Amino acid sequence: MQMNRDMNILVVDDFSTMRRIVKNLLKELGFHKFDEADDGATAWPMVQTGKYDFIVSDWNMPDMTGLDLLKHVRADANLQNTPFLLITAEAKRSQILEAAQAGVDGYIVKPFTAATLNAKIHKIFERVAERENAK
Amino acid sequence: MTCSTQIDIEVVQALLTALQEDNQEQAVELLDNLTQLRESELYQRLSGLTNNLHDTLDELVDNQLLLQTKHDIPDVAERLEYVLSSTEEGCAKTLASTEKAMDLSESIGELIQGSLNDEKQKLIQDLLSELNTELTNILLAQSFQDLTGQVLNRVALTISSLEQSLIQLISESRHDYDAIPDRTESEQKSAEMKGIGPNVTQKSKQDSIDSQSDVDDLLGELGI
Repeated sequence: MQMNRDMNILVVDDFSTMRRIVKNLLKELGFHKFDEADDGATAWPMVQTGKYDFIVSDWNMPDMTGLDLLKHVRADANLQNTPFLLITAEAKRSQILEAAQAGVDGYIVKPFTAATLNAKIHKIFERVAERENAK
Repeated sequence: MTCSTQIDIEVVQALLTALQEDNQEQAVELLDNLTQLRESELYQRLSGLTNNLHDTLDELVDNQLLLQTKHDIPDVAERLEYVLSSTEEGCAKTLASTEKAMDLSESIGELIQGSLNDEKQKLIQDLLSELNTELTNILLAQSFQDLTGQVLNRVALTISSLEQSLIQLISESRHDYDAIPDRTESEQKSAEMKGIGPNVTQKSKQDSIDSQSDVDDLLGELGI
């Protein structure tokens, strides 16, 4: 899966301000197809439709955390390869290790810059491309 | 609790008589006696309540209230401080960028003076004017910080006074505030997996990663 500016992106965050910021930054990077969810629990049925090529999620949300959403995605045979980026204020070493173990592709701590987001997305899709080529 | 102090009807009658006879001196003395009686009754009632409180808190040594007083209230107060300072900082950044954008818009207006035909010049001036209206709206929107700041300051004061009252309550119930235990590791771990938000308190900064580059290093070690 090459980085494709037409890909469908799901932005999950319980704060609408943050969803707007992330969407605007992604727009600046040339992406234009987004959907939003305000919680992991709202996002999960959307993800299950198989529509999304990339998920950008917060961690700390009321009903289902971003970490649990990631675990759900990785446990589903049809969705397990979906690139997953966590953008979160959670910055304990133990939390980052837990996210890595759960299979996160990228981890950005808030507050973050447009350059960081750009760099992480490129890195994620380079690695996805490498994985695809290796098959 | 029964009350051992009772108001004597004879004292009240004597007070009435003293008043009818306009004997102010005696009336004041009798009234003082009655008041003292009431105060001592009030004292007994309060002391009873305090004893009840001692017993209740003694029965609940592991009470959440003790843990909350020692750990959660100071944590909340520190987080509130963070909210105040970070919203202020955020507003200051927004104001600085907006002001800079207004200067840029003014410079563009000056640059196009006389360099374009009238129609284009008017078009651009109109757009710049609209842009300035939007920028002014951004400036005005930042006034929320003043209002929310005032509200948060009041909340911070209330929390601080509540904390002091609870600490006093704990010490009056013969508990050693310093001996209240820490939160258990499993409680902490379970909270972390749910997400605890930014690490803004001295305590939560322990074991937290400071910057994106440290996160990258840690993930790099894991091949991510």
